[in-house]
Amino acid sequence: MPSTVPRSLWPASLFGRIALILFCGLSAAHVLSLGLLLYDRAQTVSAMMIAYLAKDVASSIAILERIPPEERKDWLPKIDRQNYRYELLREAGDRAAPTATAQRVAAMVSRELGSAYAVTANTAAQASDPLRFDLALTLRDGTPVTVELSPPDTGLSSWVLAALAFQLAVLALFSGIAVRIATQPLARLAAAADQLGPELRGAVLDERGPKEVTRAAVAFNAMQRRIADHFAERVRILAAISHDLQSPITRMRLRTDLLDDSTLKQKLQNDLAAMQALIEEGIDLARSVERSTETPIATDVQALLESLVYDYADSGKQVGLIGRVDSPVITSPRTLRRIVTNLVDNALKFGCEVEIAVAREMPDRISIAVRDSGPGIPESELGAVLEPFHRVEGSRNRDTGGAGLGLAIAHRLSSALGGDLRLTNRPSRGLEAELRLPG
Amino acid sequence: MDPRDHILIVDDDRDLRELLVQYLEKNEFSVTAVKDGREMRQALAGKTIDLIVLDLMLPQEDGLKLCRDLRAQGSTSPPILMLTARGDEADRILGLEMGADDYLSKPFASRELLARIRAILRRARALPANLVVAETARALAFGDWTLDTTQRHLVDAAGTMVALSGAEYRLLRVFLDYPRRVLSRDQLLSLTQGRDTEPFDRSIDLLVSRLRQRLKDDAREPRYIKTVRNEGYVFASPIEMRNDQG
Repeated sequence: MPSTVPRSLWPASLFGRIALILFCGLSAAHVLSLGLLLYDRAQTVSAMMIAYLAKDVASSIAILERIPPEERKDWLPKIDRQNYRYELLREAGDRAAPTATAQRVAAMVSRELGSAYAVTANTAAQASDPLRFDLALTLRDGTPVTVELSPPDTGLSSWVLAALAFQLAVLALFSGIAVRIATQPLARLAAAADQLGPELRGAVLDERGPKEVTRAAVAFNAMQRRIADHFAERVRILAAISHDLQSPITRMRLRTDLLDDSTLKQKLQNDLAAMQALIEEGIDLARSVERSTETPIATDVQALLESLVYDYADSGKQVGLIGRVDSPVITSPRTLRRIVTNLVDNALKFGCEVEIAVAREMPDRISIAVRDSGPGIPESELGAVLEPFHRVEGSRNRDTGGAGLGLAIAHRLSSALGGDLRLTNRPSRGLEAELRLPG
Repeated sequence: MDPRDHILIVDDDRDLRELLVQYLEKNEFSVTAVKDGREMRQALAGKTIDLIVLDLMLPQEDGLKLCRDLRAQGSTSPPILMLTARGDEADRILGLEMGADDYLSKPFASRELLARIRAILRRARALPANLVVAETARALAFGDWTLDTTQRHLVDAAGTMVALSGAEYRLLRVFLDYPRRVLSRDQLLSLTQGRDTEPFDRSIDLLVSRLRQRLKDDAREPRYIKTVRNEGYVFASPIEMRNDQG
């Protein structure tokens, strides 16, 4: 159906489609039954009229026969009826072949009058109504009589049209309500699925309402729980493996210190450092899944960012800081530090120049943006890199260390702080990760 | 008497113990390695131990419990370097609260372990006995400020948390450990170094000015850190130790 109906007429929403189909179907049925009723009424009326007409014409002809010819003219108005009238001595006009109805009426009249009269039906050439025709016969004295039929007006009166419009309006209203009832749970389901953010804990759907809706809600809630359980299980396994790998890595790290070959020693230590980076990310992800137990306190965000930048400087990494936030913000400082550290570490991996821009965006919101001058991330991947276990192919790959969980961890921690994290490619070059925090 | 410092290693990982013994002996320590708390107590009863390297995760009695027990014995207990898996803040805070002198997260480089051990021994010798308590105080209050020693941040009079960089914290701790004593730049440098491997390439003067800025201390008329011409710096404010929460 959508292929034959122009796009503009076929509504995009399920609500629109069902409402349209329902409304069109119901009004077509309604109009059709009204039409049938009107047709039946017209049929009945004409049948009754014809039966009455035959008898009445016969008695009128009998009256005319008994009246002296000179008085007949005065009597004509008395024997005229609403739907037909008599004329004497009229010349026949243009003739067309009489219709079936006209012939049937002529035959009935002729039967009532008896064989003494010859009744012919004449249909005017331009007549459109089957009941508009003349009957011609001749009185015994040779005077021609014409019965001119004009059918009753069976057109619709305006109040019928108004009532029809009202009925259609009521139909439209109720089909709208019905469809709304049917599609609303779908909208709620979609909204709940949307809420299944990085926390993987969506809102629990209300399990009440009609039977089908209840079933869908129960199934959805169960699915949501399974997803959360599955994810938690995955993270638990990752954390357990990561944790247990630390002992052998510690031993290997110490064994390499005993090696004499310094090139080999350096290479092995680099490999071990890369393994350790993977392990730490796994453990951090597991920790970010657990609800943060840190209590929010008034935090000097400026001092926090400055100390972070100094720590980077002390370990030989230059990170710029622009902007200022002077008033304290109520937040969890260790979690915030972890987020910004992850963003900066990620930026340092890919961009040579990294800067943090901090600003108070609104009276109750601050923005901390970490910008780098690296290759950025393809637009299509921007949302996906915030999901755990996702890796951007190409420019940002495993060579740079870690499992690519840094951004995902930052994303999860940001929502835990009631903020949100967004990635954008900068117009010039590089990536900007902007954290917006209430405060 | 053996002039070497005696290190006691408590770890349930036999291979790791052997590696550490090998490495520390090569670096002129005498080393005893044991696998659990019971053996640790036996070793402590029989020998003079200068420092304990204690693993956090031990079977039966874990490192935290052993650390708490040792501290309960009072000032006779040797300093403790706690080994944790993954340098997570929860472990670190717990370790410091329970009275460990420092912590090191696995995996570590042997050079790092050596530096930490030497730094703790140096500090333990430099500090008068009555100041060792400061190590375990949860908070040190001076002027308008309180330093939270477990979270390593400052809290101002209004209760706002003010973060410190690693170097700033170490410098402030040195000042608080040696109040009213003039410390030369060389002394400050040697006392602040060694706890971390990161190159400490900033001059002490720059670090002091940064710390003053953090403390909202006016350099021309400082309240906390005063400059002593041609000698160094002195921490001039009285300090109060607090062990209560917050």
